[in-house]
Amino acid sequence: MATVLTVAAEKCTGCRLCELACSVRNYGESNPVRARVYVVRDESEGLVGTVPVVCQQCVEPLCVELCPATALSRSDETGAVVVDTDRCLGCRSCVQVCPFGAPSVDRRLGAAQKCDLCDGDPTCVKFCPTGALTAVPEDEEALRLRRTRASAYLAHLRDVAPAGSDDEEASR
Amino acid sequence: MTSLYAGTILWVDLTTGAVRRTPTEEYAARFLGGRAVDARLIYDNVAPGTDPLGPDNVIVFGTGPLSGTLFPGCSRLDVMALSPVTGLLGNANIGGDWGAELKFAGYDHLVLTGSSPTPVYLNIRNETVELRDATSLLGAATSETRRAIADELDSPDVKVLCIGPAGENQVTYASIHSNVGNSAARTGMGAVLGSKNVKALAVRGTGGIAITDKERFLEACLAAHTFIRSHQDYEEAHTAGVMDGEYGFVLSGGEASGDGHQGVDFDPEGKTDFRAFWKRYGYQRTGCMGCPVHCMENLHVPGVGGAVVSCEMYPQLSWEVRNSDMRLWFELVRFSQEQGVDNTSAAIVIQWVMELYEKGIVDETLLDGIVPVWGDRDALWGLLKKIVAREGIGDTLAQGLKAAADHFDALVPAERRGGRSTYELAMQVNNNPMYGITDRVSSLALGYAVGRRSDLISDIDIPQFNIIAASAQVGQTQEEAQHAIQFETDRVIALTGEERAGDGDALDGKAMIVHDMGIATGISDIAGSCKWHTKWFLDLSPEHYAAALTAGLGREVTAEELRAVSLRMRSVERAYECRLGRRRENDTIPRKEFGKPISRGTAKGKYGVTEAQLEQLKDEYYALRGWDLATGVPTRATLLEQGLDDIARDLAAAGILPAAAGPTTAGIAPAGGDGDGADVVRPR
Repeated sequence: MATVLTVAAEKCTGCRLCELACSVRNYGESNPVRARVYVVRDESEGLVGTVPVVCQQCVEPLCVELCPATALSRSDETGAVVVDTDRCLGCRSCVQVCPFGAPSVDRRLGAAQKCDLCDGDPTCVKFCPTGALTAVPEDEEALRLRRTRASAYLAHLRDVAPAGSDDEEASR
Repeated sequence: MTSLYAGTILWVDLTTGAVRRTPTEEYAARFLGGRAVDARLIYDNVAPGTDPLGPDNVIVFGTGPLSGTLFPGCSRLDVMALSPVTGLLGNANIGGDWGAELKFAGYDHLVLTGSSPTPVYLNIRNETVELRDATSLLGAATSETRRAIADELDSPDVKVLCIGPAGENQVTYASIHSNVGNSAARTGMGAVLGSKNVKALAVRGTGGIAITDKERFLEACLAAHTFIRSHQDYEEAHTAGVMDGEYGFVLSGGEASGDGHQGVDFDPEGKTDFRAFWKRYGYQRTGCMGCPVHCMENLHVPGVGGAVVSCEMYPQLSWEVRNSDMRLWFELVRFSQEQGVDNTSAAIVIQWVMELYEKGIVDETLLDGIVPVWGDRDALWGLLKKIVAREGIGDTLAQGLKAAADHFDALVPAERRGGRSTYELAMQVNNNPMYGITDRVSSLALGYAVGRRSDLISDIDIPQFNIIAASAQVGQTQEEAQHAIQFETDRVIALTGEERAGDGDALDGKAMIVHDMGIATGISDIAGSCKWHTKWFLDLSPEHYAAALTAGLGREVTAEELRAVSLRMRSVERAYECRLGRRRENDTIPRKEFGKPISRGTAKGKYGVTEAQLEQLKDEYYALRGWDLATGVPTRATLLEQGLDDIARDLAAAGILPAAAGPTTAGIAPAGGDGDGADVVRPR
């Protein structure tokens, strides 16, 4: 089963370990510009907002559709959309069409680069200290998110639940 | 490019605009990086006698070999210059992501010399280095400055270090700021930038830091992260920073224990409980680049705005000035950050004025009509604003405690001062306003006395701090507090072999604890990492650093080598300060503190280090460091052993060390008998 990277932006604290881990793993250098994941940071009004941006491995990827060199394809093994750097022209079609701004063109590579899920075992996830980035089986992602997002409501239900037996005894 | 290093030190002469580049290797070979290279750069380039706010002072911004990598907390930048506060070595360390960006731009260190004739900001984009007009930025708050520069350069990812109006006005204890909440606040580094007419430093880098063995490097870094995430204190640090610990320390009386607080628990209702404030106004947790901890609290108070705070910011403009209005505290902290003034120093200066007023030594006629009653809103705002603007009495207070004391001494009749200088009431070490952390416990007093930059933060007996804090049981059951005390006690016994090492009243093992903490935090300052991750809090060992450095550099780095560099660095700093006149007698705490127990809180009535006890601890500490017991100067033997022969020669030429007895072989200590080192190992 394919793995997907789930982004829980509300858990991100902006440490950018994902960027650093990604570039070291893929290029042997620490360099956020070459990373395939990017943390957008905003500090306006003194409030720190951070959002990790990374390829969502779309089911119907515009980047694959619009690539004039057919350099992008889906890996059967991992489910990730991957770049064939030999075929890639570096034309930036994928960069411009992506709804998330996830791919970029790496000058030294001479080709587009994007998250390939590290052959199914993403390095960024290992370093993410908050769980803002997690790797989950594709068919479980939605279920897990539902569980997480329902948990606040479940906790609320417990808070407002009628008093239990201890209280009944006390009132007797 | 050598792995882990950008490879270049960037020199900018602000007077002429000339830019120079030299290989980092010239310094890194012996000093590795960070604070150690900074210290040697200052030693080599700032002559004793230089005016800290004159054009001949030099300010250095230094990263370490692990800066900008994914080793935990490796975003730190070390800032060093001659301090306008102490007249000695000034030093502050800042997180965020500016340091990493400097390396991505291709530079390990940035050295600013001279002084610009007009207001400028430095703009670095990879190999492009330019000074740009900053006239339109004058008077701008720090957040406004960052935003304006990003707009002007059309670069949302540019990283900016800047000063606020306080730095422009050369308030001696002005700070430098980067991201919201990150500051190089202590010892007046912002004033030095202001004196050089530099409003900001902008950097954008798109290069990388090479890693020799990426597999081993990832492994070593992951091991360090895993270690931290499994640490018993990680959960707390990660979710609540040091809120419990700091509040516990406040309630124990370990903070705000001075005469100004004699017997006063001014907040019986617990209104200063930061945890409640966080619960109400917390926006999100945040932290520095590369850090798994996120020790900082981003708060949003409606009607005031957002700000990021942490750690020692809590007790300063609250407890130290007896202000229990946390909303006011938040407003004052935010104002300090926006105006670019160290809120610790400002709080301690204001505390001193309030104490002078309470004791009837000064009155409002000397203070432009401000009535400095403890905790008073108008007084706090009035004094802080005047300091930042250097207006009226603020101009005097902005020059620091000593200058202000001279001012008051000249105006207040001696009998009203009890025949003493008002300076004697100031909480300072070499004129550096002290943290709120008590100096009435033996090992903490030693930290203040011998610590880097005349404060204790790098040379602190953290176990003792935690033991004292546990007495207040904040966020702890009695059992948990007992466990914490036992844990801390066990670890200092293990370190020193002394049964009473955890007993704050005993001197046993205390010099060793402070010495050891100084080495450990020194290693993180050299590597470019945060001291939180060392035994200061989360217990990464020198071996963790060595493993990452080994994989990254592709040469064997041992924990022993790191300890040796840390010791060598401290010798350079110390030798430099000795050339500036520092001696044993300068290593002390305010006289009024001796023999007094903690004045309030759950530890009330305990401790009370005496002068004789501090002197004994200094003997032991000097012996461990290889400093001369009589003078506090590093001995020739120590300097030669650490490969600092040239410094030994400089000190001898300046008459600080006796001339060498005869020709000696470089690197080998003289056989003794030349008088400067013979008696060093035996405490008197």
